[in-house]
This record gives sequence, structure tokens and C-alpha cells, in this order.
Amino acid sequence: MQTLHVDADTWMHRISPRLKLGILAVLGIVLFLIDSIPLLDVAVAIGALLYFRTGLSVGEALKRLRPILLSIAVVALFGLVFNPIHVAIVTVLRLVALVLFAATVTATTSIAAFMDEITALAAPLEKMGLLKAADIGLAVGLVVRFVPEILDRYRAIREAHEARGIKIRIATTLVPLIILTLRDADNIAAAIDARGIRRH
Amino acid sequence: MTTRDLVLSALFAAIIVALGLLPPISIGLIPVPITAQSLGVMLAGVVLGAKRGAIAVLIVVVLVAIGLPVLSGGRGGLSVFAGPTAGFFIGWTFAAYITGYFSERLVKAEQTGIAQGIGFFIASVIGGVVVLYAFGIGWLALVANIGFSKAFLGSMAFVPGDLVKAVVAALVGRAVMAGYPLLPQRT
Repeated sequence: MQTLHVDADTWMHRISPRLKLGILAVLGIVLFLIDSIPLLDVAVAIGALLYFRTGLSVGEALKRLRPILLSIAVVALFGLVFNPIHVAIVTVLRLVALVLFAATVTATTSIAAFMDEITALAAPLEKMGLLKAADIGLAVGLVVRFVPEILDRYRAIREAHEARGIKIRIATTLVPLIILTLRDADNIAAAIDARGIRRH
Repeated sequence: MTTRDLVLSALFAAIIVALGLLPPISIGLIPVPITAQSLGVMLAGVVLGAKRGAIAVLIVVVLVAIGLPVLSGGRGGLSVFAGPTAGFFIGWTFAAYITGYFSERLVKAEQTGIAQGIGFFIASVIGGVVVLYAFGIGWLALVANIGFSKAFLGSMAFVPGDLVKAVVAALVGRAVMAGYPLLPQRT
């Protein structure tokens, strides 16, 4: 499965993931406390500068943010109908800046580094007996492993529908897809337990 | 949590991801094709129940957070949490839990098919519409600064589509329960 991490070696890639996530969290709070348009302009400019320096081509960089920028624009236009223009501009700048910073962290942090942070975050929960931190990695691995198989199965079900001349409808395709997929659970669980992967 | 429960949740998370990769499908009830990913959230609760359904959705949230483009349209990464509609995404987990909770209470194996379908529909509406929109509208109002009443009105445009999804979730939930029952029973 493709990831949004950009395989490059900029100074941003080398900062520790924990620091980057910490800065992002702080920015998330600070940006919502700022109401001044010039300051937010600066934030957007810095965010854009960092984001376009992550090693992504400009086209790819814009393509990634298009849906979210579109939703910001739609909400802003909607807000503009009822709110003073100052509020609408502040909101747009704030969200765009935050989106740029967030996308920068995503582009410069590898999946493995994120998993380490999530496992570390889950450690206190493990001490409370709520979950096993190692299960998170196992679950993520299972999903990545099984998505292509589910897509294949969906294609097979579609073809079976077409062969029988049945119109493809979501209700009739989802039911066999869900049952066939979940029926594997017993075998997969047995295989995991047989290898002692969850034994601690 | 048993290994089987973990695997069931992970497999359902994989189904939700796969639903985002499929081209929009016609559902037969309305002519407009829909993206099936938010339907997957209701289905997680309907098929797996509260706990396992919520964990399935939580796994998808983790996948998005670590930078995998698993949402429909190839969206993913931390920027998903920063947009004006992030409340709906964050609300997914709670929507699946509440859908599952009411499914477990309302639907019994010995009921007739119609009663099961109605139970699943009510559970899907409470979880996938009422709870989900509470999160989505709250976020829109506070983060996107457009005020509660306007956020509420603006979001209402999407409710009919989600009600149709609740109908589909009820039909699919009932059929899965007949073919391969997994829903825990609660009294």
C-alpha cells in the first residue's frame, strides 16, 4: 500500500517524530488563539514554505491537499453568507495553516516512526490493562495484508453477478463480501495463536 | 480481547478501507451512486457489535493518522484531523460504538426478519446519523466558526443520503446475521 510519507532526507525528516507531533499539537492550540490576519498570513506562509520543501513535487503536493482545501473553501463560503468577512478570513487562514503543518508532518515522518509513537502512547493504557500495545501494530499489519484480498474478492463477486446477469447492487455484493471475509477470522486467529505472536 | 475479536476488527477495518477504494456504487434505492465508506462505519456496528465495531473503526483512524491514504479519494494523513469536517471523521468511532450498542439491544436472533431489519435501521440512525452529526456539527460550529444553527442547517443536506445508507446497513446487517451471525446478544 502506498503511503503519504515522502522518502527524502531533508532536515525536517531528521527531527524526532515526537518533537514534530508535539510542535503540531502546540500549533493546533496556538493557531486557534490567534485572531490577527497578518499573523495568520505569516503562519500560512511558513506552513506552505515547509510543506513545499518536503521533497514532494508541486503537482503532487497540491493534489494531496485539494479535497481538504476544497472543503475549507466550501465551509468558508457558507460561513461568509452569515458571518462578517473578518471571521471568515481568519477561519480560512487558520485551517489552511494547520492543514499545511499537519501535511508536512505526515510527509516527513515514516510509518514505522508513527507506529513507535502510537505504541509509546498506548503504553499507559497497557499498564491499565485496557489493551496490548503490540496489538496495534498487529492490527495495522493485518489490514494492509488483507485489503488487496478483499478487493480481489469484490471483483470476483462482481464477475459472478455479471455472469448470472444480475445487476450489481451494493446490498447484494456487500453481504457475500462481508461473510466471506469475516469467515477467515477463525483460521487467521488460529494461525496467529499457533505462532505465539500475542504471547507476552 | 481474544485474538479472534482482534482479527475480526482488523478484517472489518480492511473492508472499510476497501470500500473507500471501490468506485461509487449504485445502491438501487436512489439513482445517485454513493461512496460506501461511511456505510462501512454503520456496518461495523451492525455486524460486529459495539466493542469490536468501534475497534474496527479505530484501526482505520490509526491508519489515517500514520499517513496511509485509506479514506475515499486517497485522503489520509494528519491533515484529515485539521479540516472543517474532521468532526465527522472523529465521530466515526463513536457512531460505530453506538450503532453496535443499540444493535445488540434491539436485535435478537429469534425475531422475524422484518423486526431485525427495523432494529438495525433504528440502531444505524441513532449511531450513524444522530451521534455522528453531533460530532460533525459541533466541530463545524466551533472550529470552522460558522455557529451551531448554520452548521446544523448546512449538515441537514446530507441527512437523506445517510438515511438511505442506514436502510442499506439494515438490509446487509440482517442478511449477514442470517448467514454468519457475529452480533453479541445483550439483554
